[in-house]
Amino acid sequence: MIWETVEIIATPVLAFLIGIFFLGLSRKIMARIHWRYGPPITQPIIDIIKLFYQRSVSHGVIFDMGVLLSLAGSIAVVLLIPLGGMHALSSSGGLLLILYIMLLMPLGVALSSGEGANPNISIGISRKLILSLGYEVPLILILLTLMTRYNTISIAEIVSQQEATGWAMFSVPLFISGIAYFLILPAILGLKPFDVVSALQEISSGPEVEYGGKYLALLTIDHAFALFIGIALFVDLFLGGASNPLFFFIKMLLVFILCLFINAVFPRFRIDQAIKYLWKWPTALALAGLIATSFMW
Amino acid sequence: MEILPLMAFGGAIITYLLGKISHRLRDGFAVSVSWLLVVLVAFFYGTQVCTTYYSGFFGLPFILRMNSLSWLFAIMIAMLGALSITFSLSYMKGREKTNFYYLMMLLVNASMLGVVLSGDLVSFYIFWEIMSWTTFLLISYNRGPAIAAGMKYIVMSIIGSISMLIGIFSLYASYGTFDMSGVGAGIASASSGYILFILILFSITFGIKNAIMPLHTWLPDAHSEAPTPFSAVLSGILIKMGTYGLLLFMYVIVGSKLLFSLGSGILSFQYILCIIASITIVIPTFIAVLQTDAKRVLAWSSIGQVGYIILGIAFGTSLSFAGGMFHFFNHALFKALLFFTVGAVAYQTKSRDLNSLGGLAKRMPVTFIASLIGIFALIGIPLTNGFVSKWLIYKSLILEGSPFLAFAALIGTWGTILYSYKLIHNMFLGQLPEKYKNVKKAPLSMQIPMVILSGGILLFGILPGIPLKVINGIGTSLGFESLSVTMGGYTSETGALNIINILAVMVVAGVLVWLFFRAGGKSKRVAQVSSYGAGASVPTDKYHYTAEFYDPFSRMIKPYFRDVIDDFYNWIAKGARETFDHVRHLYTGDVGHYAIYIVLFLAFLILVSLVWFL
Repeated sequence: MIWETVEIIATPVLAFLIGIFFLGLSRKIMARIHWRYGPPITQPIIDIIKLFYQRSVSHGVIFDMGVLLSLAGSIAVVLLIPLGGMHALSSSGGLLLILYIMLLMPLGVALSSGEGANPNISIGISRKLILSLGYEVPLILILLTLMTRYNTISIAEIVSQQEATGWAMFSVPLFISGIAYFLILPAILGLKPFDVVSALQEISSGPEVEYGGKYLALLTIDHAFALFIGIALFVDLFLGGASNPLFFFIKMLLVFILCLFINAVFPRFRIDQAIKYLWKWPTALALAGLIATSFMW
Repeated sequence: MEILPLMAFGGAIITYLLGKISHRLRDGFAVSVSWLLVVLVAFFYGTQVCTTYYSGFFGLPFILRMNSLSWLFAIMIAMLGALSITFSLSYMKGREKTNFYYLMMLLVNASMLGVVLSGDLVSFYIFWEIMSWTTFLLISYNRGPAIAAGMKYIVMSIIGSISMLIGIFSLYASYGTFDMSGVGAGIASASSGYILFILILFSITFGIKNAIMPLHTWLPDAHSEAPTPFSAVLSGILIKMGTYGLLLFMYVIVGSKLLFSLGSGILSFQYILCIIASITIVIPTFIAVLQTDAKRVLAWSSIGQVGYIILGIAFGTSLSFAGGMFHFFNHALFKALLFFTVGAVAYQTKSRDLNSLGGLAKRMPVTFIASLIGIFALIGIPLTNGFVSKWLIYKSLILEGSPFLAFAALIGTWGTILYSYKLIHNMFLGQLPEKYKNVKKAPLSMQIPMVILSGGILLFGILPGIPLKVINGIGTSLGFESLSVTMGGYTSETGALNIINILAVMVVAGVLVWLFFRAGGKSKRVAQVSSYGAGASVPTDKYHYTAEFYDPFSRMIKPYFRDVIDDFYNWIAKGARETFDHVRHLYTGDVGHYAIYIVLFLAFLILVSLVWFL
């Protein structure tokens, strides 16, 4: 009981630390690839503290509540994902629940920013929803493949079965789905070439354009969680999770750095190009994986 | 037992007569009789009654019966009927022919009650027909294009009725009884070909009412033309009469054991129904994304959601059956709620066009919250009832080895997010157009039904055990295994569901985040345009970017998602009309021509008889 409580408290804290470290790291690595020096790795934390105490503007109750809903949703998702041997609450609904609770993040931000009158907001929300439909098609196929293969809907169970039979990424036929997942990972994380939602140069960060002060601080925390969730799911589902948080972190780090390399060199898709790409190769691979799993093995 | 239909039909007629005296009296009576019906039906919970009256039609027995299945449908009918009558009070105020409207609304509810309570096929058919015709009259209530929509509905409905009539007569010819339990006993020994024939005949009837693809084409037109309180009934419960019929024939009359023996693997009755259901989920969902009329979005969405219900029921494991039944229950709540909110917005702004509304959240807060809860349930966000039912369906599809059906269902959900978010964003968020600056909030009689339904959605979303217990009772009475239902979901070795945990996590996380939020720097309320314009004045109504909300996406999918089936039916209708137009030219009005026709016909008969006999 005590251990469970510790886990429930420790999981979001660890997730936040990992996410925020990744945010800082990404700026550093990107800068180095661009031949710049870059800000210190602690910059996001400094920003959050600074922004948090600044005065800010709000458009009303929905503007406040949407951000809170989004952040509360992120914390709930984090608690449902096994983090290196810590399964805080991962047995109360499984992957299907995670899939649904993850919706609270974009919906919360969309509701909140929807109170503004800025056209960039509407464009950004529309792009976010379209893009998520784009990557959800292959993602659902991939998750169905895993759930069919391991005959469970519980993510903790998928992790523990991989401990017995080896990583899904290196097993036949699941590796096909693993590749598909890696191809859509930048879209899930909102990295290039799929950063149409924030698209700084076009729609000046889209839905977040009117946020300042503590709202922006909360959104940065939300980003950190989103980064953690996207990569942690991949590690849990395909890289066999980990027996302790340190190994889990190392696996996440490797995946994230790979994504950053892609992020550094690609230009941005238009939204319709992004959908076309997502519904072509990743979906074809994911479908092949599902067919192979359900009919051949 | 007979008190229920008597009161429902009698109430309708008395309401009409009272309307001749005073509108106020009529409104009061209609509301009280419809709520009284809810209370009466509620009293029948858990009872198994079957009463036979011999005074019926042509001396045929008239059987009324109540069991757990018909109770669930009856309570939903009574509940939605009462809510929509309440909603009508202000919605219909000042319109023409309100007496007729109330009569028809109450008659629809009464006839639906009759359908679910009847225990023999003749009264089932008669109530079914009353339902179809009153629906027709209500759809065409607004005249103009509504007549065409109503015609489309009634033509399809008549095709369904004919199919049902053939089925009923065939059953009577085989077993000599109209009693459902008698037919059930007789059909147990029938050949599987005959059972299939009967099931297909009735599936056409119920499929049309249920708007399953490809029999759905009447529904989008009917919804966009019908008065909104009736749309709520139509989508919430009336199309589910088709579901009731399917349940009745699949699981009550034929029975699950016989049903599962019809064919094997992919080529079985239930699996083909599953495939049709999954098509019904996916295609209408994406068509809904392309719509710009709020009620049309909801109409297409209804078709899609019905797909989930049929998928769950047809898949036929105890888990998926519970999911399908629960989704029926949930859909009735949230779709009625969404129609009410759209109705309230249309009542206050006189518009349902998603490209021109916007920013109404502060003007109509209750309607906004209700519609938010409605779309959350429609999407299936945890803590609303829609999540639980979809979860049950997905889980059983995945673990019973049908990942492709599960894929169709899940993709439907992600399409649902697109159109339902568009619905709420384009009505309530974004910029408030100048002409809606003075919109008032919805009247009380509209807010009460919305609040009741929102409360129900949250209650049954957090404590799904309440309806699941009833549904589990239905499932076991139809021969399914019993599920171990708990208050917060259900337990199982292959993955349990515990909503209470989720609630606790969300509440604690929410409170923590809120406390954290409070600790931060002060924030100041500013007007919508002030941060965007940075103090400068922004030209009003110039930058309304919610119009064509998903334009890049719509342009991509539009060529692939046309309602081809509707075009096909229209083509047949047009062809038929032209053919009959030509046939009409035979009637020239000239006696000489008619004389020639007679002579020619006689000559033809003589020729035939010559050939025949020689």
